[in-house]
Amino acid sequence: MIHLDKVYKNYGDFQIQDLSLEVGTGEYFVILGPSGAGKTLLLEMMAGLEVPDSGHINGLEKRRIGLIYQDYMLFPHMNVFENIAYGLTIRKEDKQKINTQVQEVSQQLGIAGLLSRNIHTLSGGEKQRVAIARAMVMRPEVYLLDEPTAALDLSTKIQIQRMILELHKKDQPTVIHVTHDFEEALAMGDRIGLLFSGQLIQNDTPEKVFNHPVSKKAANFLGYKNVFSGRIKDHLLNINGIDITTPEKQAEKAYIAVRSNDIILSKARLESSARNAFSGRVIKGIKRTNHVEMIVDIGVWLYVDITYQSFREMPLDPGSRIWVTFKTSAVKVFLH
Amino acid sequence: MKAKPVFYFLGTLLILFIVIPVFRMIFSVTPQEAGSALMEKELMGSVLLTLRASLWATLIALVLGIPLSFILARHHFFGKKVIEGLIDIPVVIPHTAAGIALLMVWGRESVFTKITGISIPGTEAAVSIGMLFVSLPFLINSVKEGFKMIDVRYEKTAVSLGASPWKAFTSVSLPMAKKSIISGSIMMWARGISEFGAVVILAYHPMTAPVLIFERFQNFGLDYAAPATVVLILITLVIFVILRAVGDKQ
Repeated sequence: MIHLDKVYKNYGDFQIQDLSLEVGTGEYFVILGPSGAGKTLLLEMMAGLEVPDSGHINGLEKRRIGLIYQDYMLFPHMNVFENIAYGLTIRKEDKQKINTQVQEVSQQLGIAGLLSRNIHTLSGGEKQRVAIARAMVMRPEVYLLDEPTAALDLSTKIQIQRMILELHKKDQPTVIHVTHDFEEALAMGDRIGLLFSGQLIQNDTPEKVFNHPVSKKAANFLGYKNVFSGRIKDHLLNINGIDITTPEKQAEKAYIAVRSNDIILSKARLESSARNAFSGRVIKGIKRTNHVEMIVDIGVWLYVDITYQSFREMPLDPGSRIWVTFKTSAVKVFLH
Repeated sequence: MKAKPVFYFLGTLLILFIVIPVFRMIFSVTPQEAGSALMEKELMGSVLLTLRASLWATLIALVLGIPLSFILARHHFFGKKVIEGLIDIPVVIPHTAAGIALLMVWGRESVFTKITGISIPGTEAAVSIGMLFVSLPFLINSVKEGFKMIDVRYEKTAVSLGASPWKAFTSVSLPMAKKSIISGSIMMWARGISEFGAVVILAYHPMTAPVLIFERFQNFGLDYAAPATVVLILITLVIFVILRAVGDKQ
C-alpha cells in the first residue's frame, strides 16, 4: 500500500496542495490531468527524487521502483544493451547474469534484435520499449509512468499501452501512471485520480469519474462537449429560451453537462419517458474515426455522437429538421 | 537591400582582419629562418615550457572546476549570481593587474611563502598559476553550459535505477558533458599558452614563448623576433587544428 498524506510542495510556478492518496498493492492507478498540473513532480516525489515541503509519503521506502518518462531518457552514450543493463551493472551483478536477464526482458518486449544498436537510430516506440526494459530488468515492485505514450504516434501508442497492460497482468506490480489523455486513463486504470492545479479533485473508478464529473472543468477535460451554465428553478435550466430538465431542483448558478453519446437523434418526436426532447436543425456532421459527431442547433448548439450506420440512414444534411432526446439522468449538474 | 550579401561582406572584413596579420607574419620569414628557429634550443625550450605549464593549469582547473561547474549548472542558491560574476573577473581585469594581484598572494613577501618557505615567483609553478587565473573562466563556463544542456531527468533515471548521486554523475552526467569538457579544456589550454601579462609579472623567468618573443622584440627588434613568432604561431595552430578535429569526432 502506498500512502500519501497531505503532501505539499511549492515548485515556483505551481504547487502540489495537501494531496492525500492511497494506492493498493498491485493496483493500476492513473493520475489524469492537464499539463502543468504537477503530475511529473508528484511522481518524482514518489520516486524519492524530490522531497515534499510537508506531508508524508509512505510505502515506497526501499521498494524497487521503475521510473519511466515520456521522452525515454535513454543514455545517449550507451547502446541499447548497456542502457537495459545499467541498473544491474550498478548493482555489480556478474556478467553472465546481466546477459541472461537483459536477453530475457528484451525478448519479452520484442527488442532482442536491437541490443547492439545506438540509441539515436531507434524509433519512438522502440525507445520506449528500451526504457521500459531498462526499468523492468530490475523487477520493480512499483512502476511510475510519466506520460509513457505521449510522444508516440497513435498505432505505436496502442501497442505500448497493450504491452504495459500485459506486463501489469503478468507480474502484478503496482503501477502509478500519469497522463493527460482521458482515453488512455479510461483504457488502463483500475482507478483514476483527477489532478487539477496540484489538487486531486476526484479519485474513483474510471466509470464513476467519466459518468459523474465533479466540476465544469472536470467535465470539459473528460471530453463532455455539451456544457452550459445558468440558473435552475423547479428542475429547469433555461438557456436561450429552451428549458432543460435537470435532476437538481434549485440552484442560483449551476453548470450542466450532457455527454454527446447520451443524446438520441430521431426524425420525429419520440414517445418516451425522457423529459428532454427538442426540435432542431442540423448544422453539420464531423466524421471521426469511430463515429460521426453531429452538431444540432436547438437554440443552443448540441454535439451528438452517432454511428456511421445512422449517419448513412438518417436524413442529416445540413438544414434538416431533427429531434434530439435525452434523459434527465444524463444531465450532470455541478455548482462550480 | 538584400541582407545576405551585406552580411557576407561584413563578415569577410572581420575574417580578413584576423587572417591578414597571421599570414603576413608567417610569410615574412623564409623557410630557412623558420627551420633554424625550430632547431634553436632556447626557443624550443620555452615553447615546451609554455605548452606544459598551460597543461598543468588546465588539469588543475578540470579537477577543481568540473564539480564547481556542475553545482552552478544544477543548483540554485543564494549568491549564485555573485559567484558566477567572480568567475568572470579574470576576463574583465587587465592581465598585468591580475599578475600584480597574484604577486601579492604568491610573491616572495607573501603569507604563503612565509608559512611554507616555498618561493613561487620565477618557477614553472608561477607560470601555471598565472595561466590558471586568467584562463579558468573559459573552462568553467563551457563545462557549466554543457551540464546545463543535460536534462536533469537523465540523472533522476539513473538514481531510480539504483545509482548513487555520485555514480549517476560519473556514469551519466560526466560522459554526456564530454564534448563541452573537451572543448572547454582546449579553449583554456589555448588561452593559457597565449597569456603574457599575468605571466610576465609573476615569472619573467623561466621564459614562456610569449615572454621570449617580447624580450627579443624589446632588445633586438622586429627582424629578430619574427622567426620565433612564426614558430610559435605554427606550432599552436597545428596543435589546435588537430585537437579540434579529434574533439569533433567525439
